Amino acid sequence: MNPSLFSPEGLAGLIFLILIAVTMFGAVVATCSKRLIRSVTGLAICFVGVAGLYYFLNSPFVAMMQLLIYVGAVCVTLAFAIMLAEPNEAKVARKITGLSGGLAALCGGAMAYALGYAAVHGEWMAAATKINDGSVKTIGVNLLTQYSMVFELVSIVLLVAIIGSLVLARQGRDEE
Amino acid sequence: MLFAPELLLLIGSLVLFGVCLGRGNGQLAKNITLALAVASTVLCLVTLQSKGNMFFDAYRVDLFSQIFKLSISLGLIAVLIFSSELKGVTDRMRPEYYLFMLLSTLGLVMMVSSVEILTLFVALELSSYSLYLMVPMRDDHTGLRIQMEAAIKYIVFGVIATGTMLYGISFIYGLTGTTYFIELVPKLHVLAASPTAMLAIALFMCGLFYKLGVFPFHFWVPDVYQGASNATTSFIATVPKLGAVAILIRITTLVAPDAGASVVNLLMVLAVCSMFYGNLSALVQTDIKRMLGFSGIAHAGFVLLGLLTLKETGFATSIYYILGYLFMNLACFLVICKVSENGENVKVEDLSGLYKRAPLLALTLLVGMMALAGIPPFVGFMGKFMLLTAALNDGHLALVILAALNTAIAIYYYLSVVRVAFCSDPEDRPNVKVDMMTQVVSISLIAVIIYMGVVPKQILEIASTAVRSIL
Repeated sequence: MNPSLFSPEGLAGLIFLILIAVTMFGAVVATCSKRLIRSVTGLAICFVGVAGLYYFLNSPFVAMMQLLIYVGAVCVTLAFAIMLAEPNEAKVARKITGLSGGLAALCGGAMAYALGYAAVHGEWMAAATKINDGSVKTIGVNLLTQYSMVFELVSIVLLVAIIGSLVLARQGRDEE
Repeated sequence: MLFAPELLLLIGSLVLFGVCLGRGNGQLAKNITLALAVASTVLCLVTLQSKGNMFFDAYRVDLFSQIFKLSISLGLIAVLIFSSELKGVTDRMRPEYYLFMLLSTLGLVMMVSSVEILTLFVALELSSYSLYLMVPMRDDHTGLRIQMEAAIKYIVFGVIATGTMLYGISFIYGLTGTTYFIELVPKLHVLAASPTAMLAIALFMCGLFYKLGVFPFHFWVPDVYQGASNATTSFIATVPKLGAVAILIRITTLVAPDAGASVVNLLMVLAVCSMFYGNLSALVQTDIKRMLGFSGIAHAGFVLLGLLTLKETGFATSIYYILGYLFMNLACFLVICKVSENGENVKVEDLSGLYKRAPLLALTLLVGMMALAGIPPFVGFMGKFMLLTAALNDGHLALVILAALNTAIAIYYYLSVVRVAFCSDPEDRPNVKVDMMTQVVSISLIAVIIYMGVVPKQILEIASTAVRSIL
């Protein structure tokens, strides 16, 4: 039975579809546009759609973080990088034809088929019984108890990333 | 005490970080790293028999993890000693280089003990990031910037493999609602017939296939092996493979032994493709590191033979084989690092007359190459023999025939390197100096390769016990 459009379920479904559409649209713009800066804009749109999906799934905190970090920080950094690097826009990407194009289509098609098949025929776990209230407090408590190990490890990964980018960008320390 | 090796490496990396600040002293950094590697090996030996869970059961110490930790530390010691001059990396970056090497080891050590997928993933990333950074640190005296090309390829393929793996993990979480292996195993065994579960496991494996260099994830291998400095390649080609096999074994235990036909078929196809692709491409290589890269792809195919039996003996043989591969490969890279005068790549003809220029290196090369080729009495032969037996007992006759065929192809290119080293004239190539420590490493590698090949039983038994502890 299909719920009517104006029932709560119907509206929720409509919002879900809109969010999916925004995400897909952003992704297509990001991959298909010829100008890099447009790709970044597409990426930002895609991230906004994903943030909406998180909100839809009742995780406002994750949605906020998605907006703050991905849209706010990552995309802006990318835009800065593009402006500073001034890439040569005239160079149009080579069109993929013949064997590689066919192979790519074949692989992509096979992957899509497999995923579609799995999604339709899979037995999924009973839909999300809410484990906790998803509040910032619960996330914080979990990060410092159950996931304390990951939490600490991530800090080392970040340290590696920071030192690494410094070393590579500055070619090591100055000659003595 | 359970956490001692990791704790030591963590504190050590803090000390190294201190060394990195300011002017930095490469020699000091190397000595600290070496001391840490030795100490961590000792601690792994001490904790070999201990067992326990930590950090809300996300981290498990048992024989399985400790064996891998021990061999990872041993590999680090060997690489540090025989690449001690670090010819290919400028002095300005050396302290950081050692810091990344140590942190990469830390990541691998933590990875083999992780029994919770998120922890496992972050540990894997820690080790990968450090490796990504070590590749472009080679100094550029050719002016071709091949190390940059290699680094870009490494990181781009790495990112894609990571993404694929995360996608698989999200499927696994969606199917079971947990990220702990101990809860995943029974839940996924129940779902064994579901195509989604098999797809999830296959996608999860992709990230490790990339690390191991298995066929469709092998594209980075030859370029990175060639583009990275000799010391970096020695590290990338040996130590991370151990971690990859450990985790692949853990993932394979998620497949129910009687219902995993699709995963078994997948592993079979990948094994055959890896072996043929690796061996046939290796035939035409002139750069030794590139050749060993292709040979590494072929060996990754062999390791899969043990996994696809989905049985305890198969897993144990895979562990045995990858341990053997560590030592054989280290032996070959030891020779490359020493023969290369200023850190440039070594071509096959550069080895001409090695038996006159450095007899011990020539002997090491002989043993290493023959072991890789699978000639008795070395470990490579025993490993291949047992992998083939395990696969045959499981009824994969066609696979065994194809693998045996590959062994025959491989002998040609391994032995042609040996032929150049022993049967051609050195002409005016200089003698190679080998320091005391490297001689010790070299002799111990030869001894281990022969010992593991002649008396495999003990190591196999330990490996079987280790596998039983995670099943």
